[in-house]
Amino acid sequence: MTTSVSTAGTEPGEYAHLVALQHRYAQLAANDPQRPQVREALINGYLPVADHLARRFAGRGEPLEDLIQVATIGLIHAVDRFEPGRGANFFSFAVPTITGELRRYFRDHGWSTRVPRALKDLHVAIRSGQMQLSQQLGRAPRPSEIADRLGIPTSKVIEGLQAGDAYRSSSLDELLGDQGTATVGECIGDLDNELAAIEDREALRPLLAQLSPRERTILALRFFRQLTQTQIAEQVGISQMHVSRVLRQALAFLQERINCPD
Amino acid sequence: MGRAAGGAEPTGVTEVHTVASAVAIPVIGTVAVDVAARADFDLDSIDDLRMAVDNACARLVRLAACNATLSCSFSVRLERIEVTAEVEVNDMVDPLPRGSFGWWIMRCLTDEVSAVVLPGEPGQHGRVCILLIKHALTTGLW
Repeated sequence: MTTSVSTAGTEPGEYAHLVALQHRYAQLAANDPQRPQVREALINGYLPVADHLARRFAGRGEPLEDLIQVATIGLIHAVDRFEPGRGANFFSFAVPTITGELRRYFRDHGWSTRVPRALKDLHVAIRSGQMQLSQQLGRAPRPSEIADRLGIPTSKVIEGLQAGDAYRSSSLDELLGDQGTATVGECIGDLDNELAAIEDREALRPLLAQLSPRERTILALRFFRQLTQTQIAEQVGISQMHVSRVLRQALAFLQERINCPD
Repeated sequence: MGRAAGGAEPTGVTEVHTVASAVAIPVIGTVAVDVAARADFDLDSIDDLRMAVDNACARLVRLAACNATLSCSFSVRLERIEVTAEVEVNDMVDPLPRGSFGWWIMRCLTDEVSAVVLPGEPGQHGRVCILLIKHALTTGLW
């Protein structure tokens, strides 16, 4: 058993003890009386993972408690279906299983705001114009510049940008594409110098550690390296809208907790 | 809101008065986006302004006295928008203590930020006010 544990050595430290339990669970016969108990211990042990993933979907019109329940169901599926003998680690199996469950939940609830088709098309045109112009200009374009590019009135661009707020909620897949795949370094070590200017940095540090590597990177690039959203989008390889969304979520998370430390 | 829709009017003032409650913040944020987009700010500056206004309002709502009104005004100047957000409070508290994380964020999102605490007349609420200035086409660096 110990040898197989080492193949899964990439589990985060706080869950290391569960790896052994996972193997034990896999080896128990289907009718073993210990099974329910071990299963429960696994589910409870990994609960913070479900909780964390559920929180990433918060603020999208569904109550957090419901999201945590849905994520927990995903976790239970993951615990039941995971086969440690195959060499993969539990997280690489559980995270997609849980987020898949959450995604399905949103889909089934028809949660995204309905925006007329023409407005959606306009929005897509604006965003692609924005990307081209950003590359050409080396900065974010103005609405009038997008209007010129698309050959439409500026007022149409403004209308389309506003539709974007409703529309952006439906690009959930974009949000989920980023699980743990920060393309720029984690920055948290480098952050220390820059944090020196902030008096409540001691309270901030553990909160920053709770963000995903990508959230932390984007936050650091915006608020410590002082890059614009467009520059960050280019560096990280995602859209400016996506950068905006990550920043807003991460800020909301930090501000809420730094104000109420409990 | 006294502005014509769709025009690239260079100056003007837009005011929003709401209950000082978290539910009003997205509305104020949407107004901020609209004002900045009509002033032809670049998309980064528009989004920065929105985040800054959201942040300022969230801070004020937290300090607001019972039944207080949150008042925001957006003044469009040449390549610059000035925002004031204010609310009645019971306690005179600096909403953006220098050196706090909140202050740091606001500093990065805007070109100028300051907070004013105005004591009330005897028997009346005092007011706390956050003032922001955002230029078009800047990175937020001072």
